[in-house]
Amino acid sequence: MRRPNPSHWCGSGPPLAVLCALVGALSALAACEAPSSPPSDLVSKGREIFFNETFKGNGRTCGTCHPAQNNLALDPAFIATLPPTDPLFVAEFNPDLKKNFENPKLMRQFGLILENLDGFGDLENMFVMRGVPHVLAMRTSVNSNQGPRTGWSGDGAPGDGSLRSFATGAVIQHFTKTLNRVAGVDFRLPTEEELDAIEAFTLSLGRQQDLTLPLRLKGTVPKRGQEIFLDNRLGKCNLCHSNAGATANFGGGNIGNANFNTGVENLPDQPADLTGERNPPDDGFGRPGDGTFNTPPLVEAADTGPFFHNNAIETIEGAVAFYDGEAFNNSPAGRVLAAADPNQVGIELDGTQIVAIAAFLRVINALENIRQSLELLESSAEKDFARRKEARELLKRAVSETQDSIKVLDGGGLHPAAVAHLQKAKELAEKAACSFFRRHDLTQQAIDEQRNARAQLIEAS
Amino acid sequence: MLKRYLRLAIVIVLLGGALEASGQQATEMFIPIGQSPGLSGKGSLIGTLESVDPGKRMVTISSSSGAQTVGITDRTLIWLDRSQQKQPNQNGAINDLQKGRKVEVKLRKGEPKAVAEWIKVQVSP
Repeated sequence: MRRPNPSHWCGSGPPLAVLCALVGALSALAACEAPSSPPSDLVSKGREIFFNETFKGNGRTCGTCHPAQNNLALDPAFIATLPPTDPLFVAEFNPDLKKNFENPKLMRQFGLILENLDGFGDLENMFVMRGVPHVLAMRTSVNSNQGPRTGWSGDGAPGDGSLRSFATGAVIQHFTKTLNRVAGVDFRLPTEEELDAIEAFTLSLGRQQDLTLPLRLKGTVPKRGQEIFLDNRLGKCNLCHSNAGATANFGGGNIGNANFNTGVENLPDQPADLTGERNPPDDGFGRPGDGTFNTPPLVEAADTGPFFHNNAIETIEGAVAFYDGEAFNNSPAGRVLAAADPNQVGIELDGTQIVAIAAFLRVINALENIRQSLELLESSAEKDFARRKEARELLKRAVSETQDSIKVLDGGGLHPAAVAHLQKAKELAEKAACSFFRRHDLTQQAIDEQRNARAQLIEAS
Repeated sequence: MLKRYLRLAIVIVLLGGALEASGQQATEMFIPIGQSPGLSGKGSLIGTLESVDPGKRMVTISSSSGAQTVGITDRTLIWLDRSQQKQPNQNGAINDLQKGRKVEVKLRKGEPKAVAEWIKVQVSP
């Protein structure tokens, strides 16, 4: 998902002029618009904090690294759209944070953020460079039989290690004004109420439950991809990504989110290493680490690359292909899979099979985008004239989701008919966001186009 | 096949799945005594150092719930809480555990005796 530019939506020339005239004519009606009421429930309070609260730090908010307009994640393409004054780049303009706070080169080129997960005693040498994971579908992914797992290695939160406590650690690591990291001077710590609200908001994002595979997919290649994904003798994906989620099930019941050493750190030619910048190995969970990282959900994967904790791989096809490679098959996790296989094979896939699994992942991502778009469009349609500002905001988010679904399908050469419907849906939602009188009608048409697109991807249930 | 994967499940649980979820220690160091989220007042011990025995590597902490003796191991992290002086917190050592100082202790889970995972000790202005 890329940052939508509202100025592009409303076009230029006569339609814009007409709109401007209408704006003038209707300016008197502005007073009728309901004032933006203060957040009333925990989720909206959490949203407000997540995107606007700086905790008296360096200017960053949670949304700096988890921007709403980019699937709550960072990638180099999105970073390139930000102005140089964006607080993400604070290490470039705050002299106190110039050294040992971020690596601007690796941030801009690969979307990597600096973390001192093994302590702050040796800032020159003890750090890791990690990507920013999306925070969608957390309700389905954060729990394990051993307790909550947060961040890339499952140990991202101080205190009790819970998702609720995560923000406290993030403020200390990423929001500080200086490297002294003194609470009450360089930042303030989130209050108990704020932690409750941020947790509630985070848990509200994206899917609230896992899929139940297999889905009745249309399209030869994605369908085959699903079969391979679910085949415990071939793809073996479903063992650790049950129902394309973030939990493991080896046949004895779901064990929740789990940590594995899959050998990502042993990949050759990792992009960040190729730059010659300092990039110490990441030892994963614990201090010192044991080399394991936790399992991310896959439904949201195709539009939230780059992939893995170190953003080592750019495409979803490349991410699937990783499991066919030596780094994985020689890893502790790969060896365990091989030991359980009748032919002592870890994961061995051919090019067509890799692409098929990726096609499946692209389609389920697009289906999730459509689900979210429909939710946003329907919610927007319910808003009356007095709440048109909220309606427009929902429409913008629906446009972003639709752009995502177009991108993930188009990128895999999948379902062109669905893409055409999604293009129409996007245009209609953009028009709706700019329309004073036809918003409801255009939104309804966008809903219909989304449904048409979905019908191209999956059999009606 | 099922048996194989059940065996696999056991191996994986032994390899990584059984990792006990725990709070991140790195940023914990900068959280003042009594403010650790979800922990202070619930899962940690806050009180005053009543006695320190560096030889036996034991400290006794008196709190509102009484006195408790806690062991210190090589893995125990000791941090100096200097937040009251608006100074950065620092790594400390067993010598910094002095009678009368305020401390917060997180106990290591799964140990037969009370052993500290970390101790924050307040350094007076």
